[in-house]
Amino acid sequence: MLRIVAGRADTAGFKGISVQYTLSSCAALSDAGAPAQSVTDKPVTAAALLGADYPGLRPALAVAVGDRVKVGQVLFNDRAQPRIAFVAPISGQITSIEHGPRRSLSALVIHRDADDPDIAGVGKPVDVSNPESLREALLSRGLWPAFRTRPFGRIPAPDAVPRAIFVTAIDTEPQAPDPRVVLASQDGVFRRGVALLTLLTEGTVHVCQSPGPPLAEETGRVRITSFAGLHPAGLAGSHIHALHPVGPGTGEVWSIDCQDVAAIGYLAMTGAYAPSRIVSLAGPHARPPMLVRTAMGASIRDLAARMGDGGVPARVLSGSVLSGRDAAWLGRYHRQVAVVDAVAQPERRGWRVIFGSGQGPRPIIPTRALETALPSGFLAVPLMRALAVGDVEAAARLGALELIDEDTALLSALCTSGSDYGALLRRVLDTLAEDA
Amino acid sequence: MRSQSANPAATRPPFVSLGWVPGNVTLLQVVALIVPVLAAVATRGPGVAATLAMALVAALFWEAVFALVRRRTGTAHGATTALIVAVMVPETVPLWQVGLAMTMGVVLAELVFGGRGFGFLSAAVTSLALLVFSFPGVALVGGSPWIAAASLPGAALLLGVGLIDWRVLLAAGVAFTLAALAAGAALAPLTTGSALVFGLVFLACDPVGAASTRVGRWLYGGLTGGLIVAFGEAGSQNAVVFAVLLASIFAPLLDQLVILHNARWRARRAGQSHG
Repeated sequence: MLRIVAGRADTAGFKGISVQYTLSSCAALSDAGAPAQSVTDKPVTAAALLGADYPGLRPALAVAVGDRVKVGQVLFNDRAQPRIAFVAPISGQITSIEHGPRRSLSALVIHRDADDPDIAGVGKPVDVSNPESLREALLSRGLWPAFRTRPFGRIPAPDAVPRAIFVTAIDTEPQAPDPRVVLASQDGVFRRGVALLTLLTEGTVHVCQSPGPPLAEETGRVRITSFAGLHPAGLAGSHIHALHPVGPGTGEVWSIDCQDVAAIGYLAMTGAYAPSRIVSLAGPHARPPMLVRTAMGASIRDLAARMGDGGVPARVLSGSVLSGRDAAWLGRYHRQVAVVDAVAQPERRGWRVIFGSGQGPRPIIPTRALETALPSGFLAVPLMRALAVGDVEAAARLGALELIDEDTALLSALCTSGSDYGALLRRVLDTLAEDA
Repeated sequence: MRSQSANPAATRPPFVSLGWVPGNVTLLQVVALIVPVLAAVATRGPGVAATLAMALVAALFWEAVFALVRRRTGTAHGATTALIVAVMVPETVPLWQVGLAMTMGVVLAELVFGGRGFGFLSAAVTSLALLVFSFPGVALVGGSPWIAAASLPGAALLLGVGLIDWRVLLAAGVAFTLAALAAGAALAPLTTGSALVFGLVFLACDPVGAASTRVGRWLYGGLTGGLIVAFGEAGSQNAVVFAVLLASIFAPLLDQLVILHNARWRARRAGQSHG
């Protein structure tokens, strides 16, 4: 089912107004189950906001179970940063609010009313004329959580000013939606959103895209950069590493997905919250693989209904097969739902018993594949060793501050140890964030 | 409707494995070693097979003992060690000495650290070094043109899958040539080449014993090549083994230098980008 495709290239020169990078390559997965790049609408019966997307978030609830809410209505604020609002992705009734440890959020579930098919949000004009009012609009209308900081991969503080903002308009995860297709119907709002982002930073807004026609206008403050090559060429971590590296005490940069930028433009132009996102519904068991327009936090059961071949139980992940997670709901930052084999590939069968990997800890054996799983400039094996033993200082020296969970997903897939480097990195980043 | 309940065993990434498990690494190495072992049996007779059997028994016995003590399933990683030892130990060495050398190598280089990949030395190099330390007069083989030719398919396989790094081979070859020329040694390309190929591919390039960064591997390969000449000029008959052993001991230090340099480069770069 899966094979490793390796390519290799070095930095290309300048091309027109945009700079083109070809990142030294990495392993990619096969195209089996890649989606047709045309969009189908897929309404859902339920959606949820998940604590898993916002680690440590403690909500100050504005609603209760049983309340009816409209798209874009504030559901709760962050108790630590009350200006950051989280809003409803669909109209309907709140059917459950589950808490995790220490009153953190586990899941807030909204079921759509059968008699209320209206998903259009309440349009209330917003003032985006100056940086303060734009900031206030994004905070109060639920779009602030679209930003994530480097270092640490957290939602930025309401008054933070980033050194640069990275718009991710390229996706190299296996079976990902093509951002050019995704943005085709939202060109105007996307360009408006990019222009607005310049109000939030005194630095540059980097639009990172695949090679081809520029997706936004290049101005003094907006730079377009093309990235070519295999995964992880499309990850924000790779772009930040190439264009604006961050380290201890260097301030922060933000990254945001292109669809969230379009939602910012939509908010500015209509005053309404845009709750829909285009995600790919793909993987070897997707029948058929396709792009769907659905709500954020959509019920995966709705999305992947009737997926899986007869008799072969499929497993549905929110996110890609590399960086996704088992889930019932689409994650806030996920751009795809992967329908994969239900059972992990058997590792101890037949002759493999003889050379079995054994129980207990498994070693990191340095292979060439690992060296291409991170952008060049990272020392993969030393970083993995530092993460594996929880050596926070060494990991920081080796560039952990430039990475978030999704950047290490390839390491987990390629390493003999079978470790989850995303979780290990998260632990290291949490420690570093406490000290910062 | 409930949110997905967390089942740690099932929800833990990675959800996809691309086949890189320790067992597969060992299997690939065993496949790469089959041809050289057959060549050794063909050229040196059935004594090689006896050595191999003894080495296998010793390696797997200790793997089993440690697996029992640690309550884990056993592995067969020691098989590669046994195959390398069978090629390089002359069939005139008594079998009990082979068993003892295997015991020391497998236990000291691998098992006390927790198994293959947790230590920093190749078990084969350690076994061979301890054999010639313990029983002076043993001159290792493994340098015939036949063995060298038989090593090439395995070398190509391991290079292809990325289990050995061409940087080590190239750096070792270049450093060896330069050092030998500097020492005024008479270089007969075919003879010296065939004496080196097996050792470089299966001892020096061992992924555990070699450095783990790209620049580190250039340095490690260069150090190995230079040390082979140094030991050889000093009259050692087992220059390759001792050179690789010493270079492997220094490999973590070489990696550490690369890490320091990388950290400094990273800090400078981040400082620049933030003016």
